[in-house]
Parts: sequence; C-alpha cells; structure tokens
Amino acid sequence: MVENNNKILIIDDEDVVLDSCTQILEGGNYQITTARNGAIGLNLVEEFQPDIVYVDLKMPGISGFEVLEKINEIDPTIISIVITGYATVSSAVEAMKKGADDFLPKPFTPDELRLITQRGIDKRKLVLETIALRREKEMLKDHFAAIVSHELKSPLGAVQQNLYILIDELSDKLSEDQLSRFEHIRSRIDDLMKLIHTWLRVISSDDIRNIREGFSPVSLQDIITKAIDNVQTHATRKDIEIIPSIDTDLALIEGDEGTLVEALVNIIGNAIKFSRVNSQILVDAKEEAGNVLVSITDTGVGIPKEEIPLIFQDFYQGKSGHVAEGGSGLGLALTRRIIEAHNGSITVESELGKGSTFTIQLPIMKSDQPSHLNVETDVLAHP
Amino acid sequence: MNTKKQLMIIDDDPDFVEGIKYILEKAEYTVDVAYNPKDGFNALQSKHYDLLLLDIMMGRGAEGIALARKIRKDPKLHDMPVLIITGIREQIAFLFPGQPVHPHFVDIDELVEKPVEPKLLLDRVSNLLKMAEEKKSKTEN
Repeated sequence: MVENNNKILIIDDEDVVLDSCTQILEGGNYQITTARNGAIGLNLVEEFQPDIVYVDLKMPGISGFEVLEKINEIDPTIISIVITGYATVSSAVEAMKKGADDFLPKPFTPDELRLITQRGIDKRKLVLETIALRREKEMLKDHFAAIVSHELKSPLGAVQQNLYILIDELSDKLSEDQLSRFEHIRSRIDDLMKLIHTWLRVISSDDIRNIREGFSPVSLQDIITKAIDNVQTHATRKDIEIIPSIDTDLALIEGDEGTLVEALVNIIGNAIKFSRVNSQILVDAKEEAGNVLVSITDTGVGIPKEEIPLIFQDFYQGKSGHVAEGGSGLGLALTRRIIEAHNGSITVESELGKGSTFTIQLPIMKSDQPSHLNVETDVLAHP
Repeated sequence: MNTKKQLMIIDDDPDFVEGIKYILEKAEYTVDVAYNPKDGFNALQSKHYDLLLLDIMMGRGAEGIALARKIRKDPKLHDMPVLIITGIREQIAFLFPGQPVHPHFVDIDELVEKPVEPKLLLDRVSNLLKMAEEKKSKTEN
C-alpha cells in the first residue's frame, strides 16, 4: 500500500546538515526538499506545501525565528521543527513561542531525526483531522436549521394536523377520559412544535440580520401598543396592570415591526411571568441623546446579581427556583439578537425580591431618511 | 342549482394534504390536489376552481408566494380566492406572537396557520366562497 507521501522541507545554510538529513530520511517514504537560506525556504513553503519544515535557527539573511513566524502566517498547520546548534533552553523556548512545534538539538543521531520526524507527521495528521472535524461540525451547525426544519418539522406538522382533525371528528364519540388523553397528546405535540420553531429562530440568527433589508420607518408607540395587546390576556389572568407611559411625538426608528413586537412581547411576557399577582408593570418610552429608550419595569422576583450577565445567552434559565414553567431559555437571547440587528442594545437592572427593569435602546432614524409612515413596508412586494 | 364547489390544494406534504382534503370532502367540496406549484398552476389553467388553498414553503423556499403573485397577474385567475395555509410565520415573516398576522407582502385573501382547526378552516373557506360569489353577482348586475 502506497501511503500519501509526506513532504519535508529542510532549511539550513550548512550543506552537510542538508545532505545528512536527506540521507537519513530518504528511506522513509518522504518527499524531501532542501533550501540553503530563509528566503528560498519560504518560497518553497508556498510552492512545495510541506507537512514538516526543519528550520535552522542560525542562518545568514532571514533569521530562523523570522522564518518560523512567516511559516506560521502562510499555514499554521505546517509542523515546524527547529534545528539548533546551541541547544539552550532559552532559544528553544523562544522558537516555540514563534510557532515551532518541536526542536532538534545538534548534533543528533539518525534515530533522533527519524523519531522527531515521525512525531511531526503524526501531529500534522492530527491537526488536519481536527480541522476537518471542526469544519464538518460548522457545516452541520450552518445547516442545522434546514435539517431540523425538514427532518423534524414537516413530519411532525403532518402528525399534528391529522391529530387535530381526528380529535375534532371523534370528540362526540370518545369517553371523557379518552378525549382528555387525546388532548394531552395534542398539547405535547404543540409544545414540541413550538420548541422546534424557537430553535429554528435562534439557530438562524443570520435570518435575523436579514430583516435589515426590509427596514422601514416604524413607530415604537405602535409597536409597544401591539406588544401590550399581545400579552394583555396573560396579564389580566394574573390581575396585573400594564401601564404604558409613552412620550408624545416619539421619533420614528428604522426597523422591522414584526420582530420588534416579538422582542417586546418576550420582555413584557417575562415581566408578567415573574410578577406577583395583582401588581403593575410600567412600560416607558422616551427620547434621549439620539436614541429612543423603552424600559419595562416590574416589581417581581428580580434576578440574582450573578445571573444577570447570563440571562441573554442561549438556553439560559434561571437557577434560583423562579423558573417559569414552559420556558425554552431562548426568549431573551432572541430578543437581544433582534435588538442588536436594529443597532440597539438591551440592558437590565434588577434587585432580588424587588423587581427588574429592562431597557432597550434604539437609535432614532436620521432625518435625511423619509420620515412619513405611509411608505410601502412591503418587503417582498412586487418588484 | 347548487353544484359542489371545486377546491384546489397546492401543498408539498402529502400527509398534511390528506388530512385537509378529508375535512373538505366531508364538507361536500370537491377537492383536487397538486404537490408542487408547477403542477398546481397547470391544473388551475386547465379547469375552473372556486378557491385555492396554498402552502407557502415548497421546494426551495417560499415558492407559494411566487405562485400567488403569478395567479394575481393572470387574466383568467386573478379573481380566484386564495387561502394561504402555512406554518411559515416563523420562517419568513418571523414569529409574530399571538394572532396570525396577514402577510402584507402578498396579495391573498386569507391566511390560516398550520395546524388548522377543522372548524376554522371550513369557516374561512365558506366565507371566502361567499364573498367571491357576492363580488361576482355585483359585477354582473
């Protein structure tokens, strides 16, 4: 079996080193090329594309250290091994810092050279394999949204639809107990479907950046009103009053209404979840220094200090026993991405037991842009 | 004379279609099916349908939208009621929380979301058919 010949480049100003190394390694199924100085050597690194480069540290012209750095720039996966006549620890350490993988002290025995070469080959193989694996993983990650979408979502969607139909059809024929079990299945499938949708939303964060293409002047007043409408029933159920206080003539911002409503619903929805029965949630909006600030204040359970930096991360759910049932741990992460796609920011202040204030900051639209609201907000409109 | 209304479903998921078709046929509609926009458009050209139920995400993307636009520009078909039936909100229009939001980016008559409650679907279908008939009798008078 013919193995893939590994390529070795030796850069040294002494012919005797080049010759002896070549002789020693020749029997080992390698392709060997040599260079008498750093400049020639570096050209060969690009042309010959070696797996391993031996570099003499002490050469006229470009120094061995410089050669090491350049090799690292050209292809960091190349294994570079330093040949050094003054095998002091300090020069070896210095070489390692510049990207050398190993070093060969002069004088060396043929066995030492073969051993270090083999070690280098093994390492190179490992490095390349790791890179290949990482690439594969990235690919999978990139396409995960599509994979989930097609492989899970479609069949589950069909099951869900047919279940809805069956329940409807059988509702007057089944016993109460049977019907309740059916309803149970249905609610589990609904939850699973929701979860898949949420994952898709988070994974495809590229999509979120795509909303920029459809940005149009939007009124945060409208957006806040819509968001409150959306969560009103949940608030009413807990006897919570949502009190908006929005400056009149609030400046327009450049954005996507749908996702902004979603972001606000996530935050106000959280405020409701973590608020006590019969309390109030304040939603303020005002202009400040070229931005619109929207803040949502509740008097709920609050967030422990140590958790505050974590709450905007994917899949984070509070540890402190206040976890709201049925959360995916993605709502705030998604909200942050939506706000960031609008060139805005989101921050939180919170005191445990007293409540939290989330503040969204969004840049006011520049005045040279059209400022009337009746522009076509139609993203996919007829071209 | 009250002949059965002719409906067309264009959706690429046969299992999904099977369920929807069943509900509609039980409600005394005649239902034809196409599993891709191309076959669907050909079928719509070849015979008269009273209403189209159209999926959005088919093939390589939002092909249903392209088809809806094509229908609106077609001299013969532009009046046909189009009911979008889709799980698409989360994919292109993003997750509008709460109630379904009419996708203003395409000129359709009605939108229901997958999964759809059978009663809701039948409701929407009969409403659209009624509206289409009223519109027709108005233009005829």
